[in-house]
Order: sequence, then C-alpha cells, then structure tokens
Amino acid sequence: MAKRSQRAVSRRGFLKASTAAAAAVSLGRGKVLHALVPAGKATPRTGPKDVYSACDMCFNKCGLIARVDDLGVVRKLDPNPKFHKSRGMLCARGNAGVRQLYDPDRLKYPLLRKGKRGEGRWQRLSWDQALDYAAEKLQAIGEKYTRCGVLFMAGTDLQSQFVHRFAEVFGSYNVISHESNCLLSRNRAFLDTFGEVPVPDVLNCKYLIMAGANRFEALVTPDSIDLMTALKKGSKLVVLDPRFTKTAALATEWHPIRPGTDMAFFLAVAHVLIEEGLYDKAFVAQKTFGFERLAPHIRQYPPEWAEKECEIPAAHIRRIARELAAAAPAAMVYPGRRSSDYENSTQIRRAFAIVNALLGNWDRPGGLTVARKVPLKKPPYDAPFYEDNPDGRIDEGRSLMMFGEEGSFKHARDAVIEGKPYPVKGFFTYKTNPMQTGANRKKTVRMIETLDFMLTVDIAMSDTAWMADLVLPAPSYLERRDPVSALQGASACACVITRDPVVKPLFEAKPVVWIVGELAKRLGLGEFFDFTMDAYRKAQLKKLPGAEAALKKDGVYHHPGKLYGVYEGKPFKTLSKKIELYNQRYEKAGIDPMPVYRPPKPVPDGHFRLVVGRSAYITQGSTTNNVLLHELVPENTLWLHPKPARRLGIRPGDWVVVSSNVGTQRLKVRVTEETREDTVYMDSGFGVLSKGLTRVFGKGASIVEILEDFNDEISGNMAMHETFVTVKRG
Amino acid sequence: MKSKPHKKYAIVIDTFKCFDCKACMIACKVENNVPEGFWRNWVRHTGGVKGRRTQFQPGQCMQCDAPSCVAACPVGATYKQEDGLVVIDPAKCIGCGNCVTACPYGARYRNPLSHTADKCDFCEHRLKRGEEPACVITCPTKARIFGDLNDPESRVSRLMKEERLVQVINPVFDTRPNIYYWAGTRLLDWPKIPTLPGGVHMPKAFWKTPMEERT
Amino acid sequence: MFKKGAIIFLAVLLVGVYIGLVLAAEKKGNDRKGKYLFRKNCRSCHVEGGSAKELSPVSKTQAEWEKAFKEYESLSCKDEWRKLSDQDRLDIFTYLHEHAYDSPSPIKCS
Repeated sequence: MAKRSQRAVSRRGFLKASTAAAAAVSLGRGKVLHALVPAGKATPRTGPKDVYSACDMCFNKCGLIARVDDLGVVRKLDPNPKFHKSRGMLCARGNAGVRQLYDPDRLKYPLLRKGKRGEGRWQRLSWDQALDYAAEKLQAIGEKYTRCGVLFMAGTDLQSQFVHRFAEVFGSYNVISHESNCLLSRNRAFLDTFGEVPVPDVLNCKYLIMAGANRFEALVTPDSIDLMTALKKGSKLVVLDPRFTKTAALATEWHPIRPGTDMAFFLAVAHVLIEEGLYDKAFVAQKTFGFERLAPHIRQYPPEWAEKECEIPAAHIRRIARELAAAAPAAMVYPGRRSSDYENSTQIRRAFAIVNALLGNWDRPGGLTVARKVPLKKPPYDAPFYEDNPDGRIDEGRSLMMFGEEGSFKHARDAVIEGKPYPVKGFFTYKTNPMQTGANRKKTVRMIETLDFMLTVDIAMSDTAWMADLVLPAPSYLERRDPVSALQGASACACVITRDPVVKPLFEAKPVVWIVGELAKRLGLGEFFDFTMDAYRKAQLKKLPGAEAALKKDGVYHHPGKLYGVYEGKPFKTLSKKIELYNQRYEKAGIDPMPVYRPPKPVPDGHFRLVVGRSAYITQGSTTNNVLLHELVPENTLWLHPKPARRLGIRPGDWVVVSSNVGTQRLKVRVTEETREDTVYMDSGFGVLSKGLTRVFGKGASIVEILEDFNDEISGNMAMHETFVTVKRG
Repeated sequence: MKSKPHKKYAIVIDTFKCFDCKACMIACKVENNVPEGFWRNWVRHTGGVKGRRTQFQPGQCMQCDAPSCVAACPVGATYKQEDGLVVIDPAKCIGCGNCVTACPYGARYRNPLSHTADKCDFCEHRLKRGEEPACVITCPTKARIFGDLNDPESRVSRLMKEERLVQVINPVFDTRPNIYYWAGTRLLDWPKIPTLPGGVHMPKAFWKTPMEERT
Repeated sequence: MFKKGAIIFLAVLLVGVYIGLVLAAEKKGNDRKGKYLFRKNCRSCHVEGGSAKELSPVSKTQAEWEKAFKEYESLSCKDEWRKLSDQDRLDIFTYLHEHAYDSPSPIKCS
C-alpha cells in the first residue's frame, strides 16, 4: 500500500524529488489515506485537473480551485481569484480543507449505537439497514407523538434546505437553525429598526466602531479583508472589547470596555450626536420615526454617566462621537455577527442600530447597505398537512419576538426536557454540533437522554454524533453536487455559487439530499424528492440565464445590481414605513420601544465573567481535529490577567480549574494582559467527549460545559456572556 | 530560454496589512508537504497591549544573494540559481545540518523523514507552471507581493522605486536578502547570528569568503 | 400554562394591529395550516407562469393583506374565496399577515 502511494506522488512532474519524498511520508501518516488513493485498475489517468468549488470550512463559502493530480487525489486548494466575495483569498482553514477530505477520522459507514449513549460502542450497518431502521423509528414517533415529535436541526449548508424540506413534508415544524446560538438578536435589532438586516459597506467606511465583533479573527468575507484595505487607505477603526483581540491589536484605538455595557457607550454617543446637533438632520427628519421621543429619552445618558458604566472616559466618548459624525455618512457602528451575549442583547444591538440611523449612513457608500436581490427560485412543492399536529412549535412563546423559521435551541432544548407543551422524542441533526455550540452541555446531554431516537448526519464523529443512536456518514464539500446558492458580499458583489464533486465520495459517504430522499421513499413521501440535482439547479436558475455558463467558466456568477440609493423613494419594511428609532410593535408587546439601559449583573467577588470569542484557526467544534489546524492550536487555554493570577497564586502555564454554576473544566492557563482583570476567555472546540476525534480528544477544555444557558429576552438567542466562574490552581 | 535575461525573484511584504490569519503557513505546508512540527514560513509579531499598533511580520527564506547557508554546505547540495532562488539538491544533501544553523533567519529545517535540509523555494514548481507561490496567492490582503526585480515593469520593481522598503539584516553581516519589507516595519530580534551546529560561532570572514570566491 | 400566555400575548401583538378585521373570535388562525391552504387553494394560479400574479407573504405589507382580505368580494377570484370556510380564510390570512413584507418575521427568500 505504501508503495502505491509513493508511486502516486513521484509521478508528479512538477514536484522536485525532495518534496516528493516528504509528500510520500507525510501522506503515509494516516494509513487510511492509502485506501483513498483509487486502486490502479480503476484509475484512468486523465492528467491533473483544476476544479472550482466553494469552501465549507466555515460559513463564508469562499471560492476555491481544487488542484487534482492525475490519480484523482486532491493535492491543494487554491483561492479562486475571480471570486469577489472572498477577494480571491483562502484562509488557514480553507487551506486545511484538503485534510478534512482525507482525514482518517472521517465517518466511513452507517453506525448504530450498541452501548449506552456516549459510550462509543457502535455496530456497522449497511445503508439499507440504516435507512429502514431510521424510517421505522421516525414513523413510530410520528404515530405515537405526532410528527412534530421529531425535532430537526440543520446547520449552515447548501444542502440544509433538503433537511428543511424533509421536515416539512414529514410533518414537523420543529426545525431549529444554528443561528439561535449565534446572531438572532442582531438580526432582530436591525430588522426592527431598519426593516431588514443590513450588509455593511466596510470597504468604503472612513470611521468604524467595532464592538462585540472581532473581524480579524472571526473572519467574515469580504468584511475582514475590506477592513484592512480601508485601514490601509487611512480609515479609522475603534474597537471596544474586553479582550485585546487581533482586531484590537490592529485598530486605531482599543478600549477595554467593561463587558455588558456597550449600550451605555452607544446611548452616550447618541446623546452627543443629538445634544451637539451632529446627527444628519435632513435624513432623520425624512427617514426616521420617533426622533421627538428619542431626543428626550437620550438626555439621561450623557458621556459622563456612561463613563461610570463602561469605564471609557467621557472625553473619549465625546471625541469618538464627534469624529464619527465628521466622517458620516461613511461612518458606522458595525452591526456585528455573533450577538449571543446578554439577556438584553437585542436592545444592546438596537442602540448600535439607532446610532447608525442618526449618522444617516443607510443605503449610502461606507454605511449600511441593503442585500442585493438575486432572483434565485426555490422550486415549489406542496407539503401535506397533518391535522393531528399541535398548533405551534415546541419553543413558541418562550421569548417575546422569536423568528418562527429559526426557533431557539435554548428554548427547544428546555421544552424537550420538560416534555412541554408536548413530547418530542426524535432528533435529526445535520452539519451542526449543538454539543459543542449550545451553552450548558449537561443540559444538551439531558435533552438527548429523553429521546427515543436521534439521527446525526456528519462527516466526522462530532460530539453530537457521539451521542446519537444512528450516525450516517456524509461526504465533505469536495465530494458533493450541491444546489446553487446566493451570497451577499457588500460592495464586492452579490453572487451565486454551487459545488460539483471534485472527487468521488470516499468510503460509503452519501449526501444528505440522498439520505432524506431515501427516508422519504420509505415513508411514502418519495414524490417530494423525485428530482435530480441538475434539474433542481436548473429550476433555481430559471431567472438567471447567464449563471450556469459563468459558474462553469469562473466558478462563480456575479449578479449585477445597485448597491446604494436602493431605498430612494421607497418605504422601509417597518410598521411606520420609516427607520424606527421608536418601535411601536415593541411598545404593544410590552418591550421598551427605545433601548433603556440596564447595567449588567455585577461580577461577584472572587469571580470572573467568562466570555466567548473566535480564533481564525477554529470553526467551533468542526476544525479542531484537523491535523493542520491542530498544529496551530493544539489545545485551548484560559486567558487570565496577571493581577488576579498573582492573587490566586497562579503562574504562567499552570493547570487551573474553572467552575460555574453548571460545570467545571480543567485546562492550562495563559496569563496575559490581553484580557481585563474581571474577564476570562477560552477558545471553543476543545474538551470534546468524542473519542472518534482522535487528535483533539483529551485536549483543552469545553467552554459549553461551563457556560450557563441564559437567553436574550426578545429573540430567544442564547446569551453566553452571563456566566461567572471561579478559577483556582489544580 | 537561456537567451532571455535572468530573473531575480523577490517578495515585498506589507506588514501593515497582515492580520496573522496564517493562511500562508497552511497553504505552504500543504503545497510543499512540510511534515508536522516544521514550517517553511512564519508570521512573527510585535507584542504588548499598550502603545503602538501590533505588527505581524510574515517571513520565509529570503533567497539571499550572499547566502550563508550555501557557504556552510560542505557538499554543494545547496546553491543559488540564476533566477535568484537558493535551492537544495536532496540527492547531494548529506543532512549534516550546517545550513540549518547557518541561516540567520531560521528559515531551514532538517526533514526528519528524508533527513535532508528543506526550506522555502518560492514554490519553484509553481513558478514553472506560471503560478505565483502558494503563500502569495492565498493571502487575504495580499500582504506579500511577488515578482521579478529584473523586470522593470513588475510590481516589485515599481515598489522598489516608489516605496520606502527595508530589509531584515542579521547583526553580523549582510546576506543580501531578496525579501523586502514596508518601511514602517519595526525591527524585531528575529534575525539571528548564524552559527555552526552546536552553536559554534565563526568569524564573519568564514561566511563571507566562500561567497566571494563564488561570485 | 406558558403557552396560554403566549397565545394571549400574540393576540395582542398581532391582532391589535388590525382590529376591525375578520376576528369575531378572539382566536388567531393557524399559520401553518394557512400555509398549506394557501398552497392548495391560491398558489395554483398565483404562481410564476400561472394565470395570476405570483404571490407569497412578502408580496404585500400587513396593511395590504388586511385590505385584500377585507375586500375579497371585489377580487376577480371571489368565487374561489367563497369556497373557503371562515376558518380557512383566517388561517390563510394569519400565514400571509404574520410573514408579510413589513412583518417582524418575513419569510426568507431562497
């Protein structure tokens, strides 16, 4: 076998002998890989080829070119220079994608749990056995508990729409997205102010305040790249963050704000803008609703007051507000992405939105722009209706203004555990890992323990798969034919992408569209999946005649469209048809119609606030086991400021025990001034339970084991900065 | 081919634009099958939460015009090509490790599997296909700019004329590197004094003489 | 218990906006049933390439949906409307209204 691989490598004409030798051995590390190199007789040598695809190592979907050698092995992933959204780049995770494809830890065939949950004893099944079993289980739950008795959760993926379609035709509207562990409170706030969730024009912004966001580590394309391009051109970046992130390190100025007080800062900025008459008066008069109520409301929030809350000197707040106004409308408070922070996160982000409205940056260069319409069609289908189903979703009404299509993981989990308002006994997950992303892991385990049947479709034995009854192997993004999908890239583009297989699926991996189609057949719902991917795509692209050819030629279709001035003479999608500084729906629902400051819960003596954050080398639980990325971040550490470290007798590199009300973890400490004295931090994606993740198992600590599960009162988004922990040596 | 003027490959690095995403490091590792535990390139940084903006400084083999590694090789396995690249012939390399410690930038390592020296060669195999090095194309902000200094129209040539650029030079003598940095790049202590294995320091002349003989 | 509270709350939130409409009963319709009924009864014509204009909840604002449902007798397809029960119409209304263009939960386009 080893010989075979070496021969494969030495055939590469362009490789010098030295690197070829290294290649053979380094590939030889994982024995599995030899099995991946197609057997000689079945390998027509076609010469090396380049295949377009879109990355899937995080949610961004950057354009790439897979370099395939003449044996059909993917050797390298290069960025697609024609792909505007990602500005022709591929990050560390993108480059490591080839080791996700050829990871010996990949799931290889269907597995049925044999031992207790989480014990890791599995039996290999054939696909027929697995699908028959799953269909039987889903049918039984549907009959016993109604079809809403199965909860579906699918992550950000081009094929997740088929899981949603399956859920709907099967008859369950209990579908939750990953988003309620991430960004729903931001969406809520901006939707309830502007009537839609904006796309920030970072590239042309001259003055940008970034709070609760870390664009140089939590990469978002094109924002992360555009931010640097803007800085190079002389734009100013003000970062408010309790941690000295790389974004803080590269900013024009960094203010280590007291966590949970961002609203105080932005209310004070609004105060200065109004008090000093610096807001865009014409814009506010013409396009906003409720200014006459906002102005008196904001009077109680001068910078001198805010200073005491957020620990940023009043003089700075004043100066920043003036600088912001001077640069307007090419100035913004960056809306951010993950906003699963506090119980009042929607209101905090509403304060961000209101400052943007006062700056008049909506729909203007360097401000908040509107998602450009891409007329992709969603092939219609007529799902059946099941009369015996309950009236509502299981998580309905647990927060004040939830998104019906997204739900709330936190609330759904509580509802399943309580069995209220009705029992849910089935759980279907695809490309999402709530065991690694849902705060309070013990509760997730408890929820799973109440289930009759849990099915997970994944490419590796994630912690979520580890808890399932049935685990089905999916192909990686480089082995799939996907539907087309539209992406928003601010000033870079609006574009359409798709994926064709770069290589054939390895092992017995099957795409989720096939899996749900097979399940549907077994459940008498086959008609809803009676299409080929080609036909499906053609239907999607009906209104985009040039797209198919562009996708073939360039790997991406860029859709033309106006970026600025889209709202000229158009009503906003709000109740007042204007930008709602004052939200009437909130008033009717008993929610503060304008943000009212509420100080964060104080950090109790001897405790720290645990905050969540991102690294550019980690996509939550899905990349820490990747051999290349693992080398960059082999384990996580607890960031602790030197002062409390001294007080606690903790020296650099010590092992520490971190405890909250819900859990305890042990990991090494990183004593650093890069966090506030009252705040500790650790990366996510470690402390895994799954022994199927052989590289990362036993490394670092799980942050979700410690995080308590609070939620945003309005959107039901998880609130992950409300946890206090103790730290001690041990 | 031979009649064409020689190329002189160089990279200009804008340290202002690097945000330490390490795409270049992983891209290189995959492109060149660099074994676990070793790297052909890096991102170093200035530290400290107070004071100036942090600077991330990418680097790799500088393809020096006066390479101390070439001088240190007892068998002529590493040499400078006409296109300016310093390369290694693994068939000749005896794996003595002289060149590894002789490099003032720590750009070389000994591959534990092949027992030969290895380092960045600006992805010579990609250059032959008409492609830029893996680290260059993958960079989000295109902090590395690659080109031929003998082509006056190349971006690197224009940057040499138009911008103020600096080089990272080791404290003992100038190996005449072909990687240039944006002038705002702050000096870090990463150029080291070249030594022989075991940390044996040699006089400046030891490194210099063989090169002068060669040129 | 929680759910009951929720229903009352939603009634206040949503119904409050369009007092004077169909709602003799203090009950809101079932938007999921409404989605099904909309597809079954309306979309056969109101579909791309169909005999009437393509429609989805985001085709109109909440006020426009209120108006359409109040004045359906003036629509050319009034006979189709008459075939539906009051409850069916309420369900369809609830679906369209709750996910309208300017609603707090507009349906996502593809």
